[in-house]
Amino acid sequence: MNHNILLDIRNVSKSFGTTQALKDISIQIKPGMIHSLLGRNGAGKSTLVNIIAGVYPQTGGEIFFEGQNIQNLNIFNRQKLGIRLVPQHENSFPDLTVAENIFVGMLPKAKAGLIDWKTMNETAKKELVEYGLNIEPTEMVRNLSSIDARKLNIIRAMHGGAKLIILDEPTTALTNKERNELFAFIRNLKEEGTAFIFISHYLGEVRELSDEITVLRDGCMYPVENPKEATEDHLSRLVAGEEVQLARRKRKTEYADQDKLFECRNLTGKCLKNVSMDLYRGEILGIVGFPGSGAREMCRTLFGVNKLDGGEILYQGKRLRIKSPKDAIRNGVAYISFDRHREGLIPQFTVNFNIGMSILRSKLKYPFDFINLKKERGISEDYRETLKIKCNSINDLISSLSGGNQQKVVVSRSLASDPQLLILDEPTIGIDIKSREEIISSVNDMTRAGMSAIYYTNDYEELLRVADRLIFFKDSKIVAQVENKDLNIVGVTEIRDQVKGAQ
Amino acid sequence: METKNTKTKRNILSICMNNVVWILLVVSIVVMGMFKSSFYSFGILSNILVQGTVLGILAIAVSMIILLGDINLSTVGTAGFSALIGVMLMEGGLPIPLAVLVILAVGGLIGLLNGWIVTKLRANALIETLAMNMVLQGALLAITKGNTISQLPDSYKYISQGKIGIFPVLPLVLFVVFLVFYFIWNKTAFGRSLFAVGGNEHSAYIAGINVNAIKIGAFVVSGLLSGLAGYLLSAYMGAVTSSFGRTFEMQCIAAAVVGGVSLTGGKGSILGVLGGTLLLTVIQVGLAVLGIPSTMITLAGGLMIFVAVIIDASRNMYQAGK
Repeated sequence: MNHNILLDIRNVSKSFGTTQALKDISIQIKPGMIHSLLGRNGAGKSTLVNIIAGVYPQTGGEIFFEGQNIQNLNIFNRQKLGIRLVPQHENSFPDLTVAENIFVGMLPKAKAGLIDWKTMNETAKKELVEYGLNIEPTEMVRNLSSIDARKLNIIRAMHGGAKLIILDEPTTALTNKERNELFAFIRNLKEEGTAFIFISHYLGEVRELSDEITVLRDGCMYPVENPKEATEDHLSRLVAGEEVQLARRKRKTEYADQDKLFECRNLTGKCLKNVSMDLYRGEILGIVGFPGSGAREMCRTLFGVNKLDGGEILYQGKRLRIKSPKDAIRNGVAYISFDRHREGLIPQFTVNFNIGMSILRSKLKYPFDFINLKKERGISEDYRETLKIKCNSINDLISSLSGGNQQKVVVSRSLASDPQLLILDEPTIGIDIKSREEIISSVNDMTRAGMSAIYYTNDYEELLRVADRLIFFKDSKIVAQVENKDLNIVGVTEIRDQVKGAQ
Repeated sequence: METKNTKTKRNILSICMNNVVWILLVVSIVVMGMFKSSFYSFGILSNILVQGTVLGILAIAVSMIILLGDINLSTVGTAGFSALIGVMLMEGGLPIPLAVLVILAVGGLIGLLNGWIVTKLRANALIETLAMNMVLQGALLAITKGNTISQLPDSYKYISQGKIGIFPVLPLVLFVVFLVFYFIWNKTAFGRSLFAVGGNEHSAYIAGINVNAIKIGAFVVSGLLSGLAGYLLSAYMGAVTSSFGRTFEMQCIAAAVVGGVSLTGGKGSILGVLGGTLLLTVIQVGLAVLGIPSTMITLAGGLMIFVAVIIDASRNMYQAGK
């Protein structure tokens, strides 16, 4: 038994009912190591870390922590041993103070069982200083920036005596600067001997941060030799499992006035102040901006989800009245939400029913409110073919599909209403690379047929491949517009951070 | 990997889970017959259908709202109040067909009010419909002063008491209503939207469904059906009593849930509701035939709802674990 090994995963497998989520996984992690897990959604990353943290048991194999078999320990006992999972969704309590968040579950008690606030705040302050986080312990967590909130989550874990911290996609919605700050923070803790399991789908940052990388694909593990030398190309091939042809787009370069399809004039609403922009036939307009900048709000206001307080939206010179998604769809605007579970799928419905939803009373209309079921099936079958939706039949329940295929169904539904403008709000979040490319190329095809699209994503590699033009949002306004020519990711983040820093 | 055998087992279990109401129905009919062979007489079997009609219609009424993921506790109150209005106007000289229309209209209006309060004022449906039920039943009691309005004209009562040959007319209504709602639930945009809203309101909204209109529509239909049930029950009893329909209050919810209408919304089938209705009626009539004292009926009703909830919960658990 090698005592230098902190976590020893031996031949772990896991199945849920009929699906085998993990097959024969063996990983060893030493103290002070950053071990990254790469893989598409559904590859088994979350399953594996949940098994390590004790959220659910494995069906085969064993896990040792500091030489001890932790099979029979529940999540709390594993936390006591030093295994801490920092989940993707921030799990702090926004309406409690920083100190309360650090101490939650083990609040220091004074006489009569009351909380000893003084000790708590003092200890918290000391820990914050020690870990280099410059915030007051009495600050409400709600008021923290997202980077500070993430660091706080890690400090919480450290406070609980963590020796192994599992970070599930901690970098989403951080600027480059903030991300580097977070990485420096993690490296500091690593120097002191804390081990990390790091999950991310940005290959670049995984390569930068990790000592070791394991790729998971279809529940099987593929260790990466010499992770520092591994190229992104090599990694993405390992992740995808096959050569994925990245979708390429022929840029639109000519913008003639008669090609103007949509005009937005002085739009005002939530996070939008007098925003004006034009959209041309067949173009894909990329949008860049942080949460709250107006970027996402622009998407949602155009679709009638957010209220338009002022200004007007013109389609070929004609004013549109969009007060709800229903109005938007009727006027040829479609929207794909960043949250397909909350704002996309009807989990109880089949693939077919999910696709038909946006056109029940238009294309599928029969007298007396009846649905043209035959036509609905036909349309669903068509999209199943063009978007390569993987299912046994269109009568499969949507919940039985993989994330990527579910998203294809959501895209199909939006396209089914024959939109003139398709708004895509993080359409590829949490889906596999192959599905992503298939979705992008079908959007490409649609724009070639004359549809316009607005594309909002934080994955700038993807954005640069897709968009013809980029607009940058900050403080509810458009602050920069550039054509997508000779731009790279660094260039985009520079423009974005510049306008962010220039307050 | 899973063997073929366990897969077949799974499928069988899945079919059983989804049709549990029909299995229970057959079992209870067989058991009743074992204790009392006269249970299989034409009289008793047709009586079950007659008794089941009002319950079945109320079960659809409440299902319309359960499908949304909400609940409507005011169906019986609506039935009683609208029947009272219709019967009073009839006594005041309104022709019978018009009186029947008034009953339906009053039911629909109460539904509209429910729907409006729940959607536009964002009131909680459970409390709102509970309050509405108390108001309506209270009004019934206040207006009748505890007396029974009886001696209704024969042509009013025909639908519930009349016969074609030896066959009672009432089950025909049950059949027609279920057929109509089979089409509404499965073939119309309104029905599909109803399931969509109950399944995931936000997704339905983003997909262009007018969520509020669907909800209000569901409440109106629920009210209309309650009115219809009020008409049929008053015609069946030949009277409007101050405790009109009280026995159906919880039974209709039980029938829907036993029949597979999920309390979390978005899931259910009209055939299941029919099964649930028949099952509860068979048990109810069966207990009477077996001579179980009427003081036990409430207990039996409570146990039935208990079974319903447990079936619903285990079905959900089973599906989550799949």
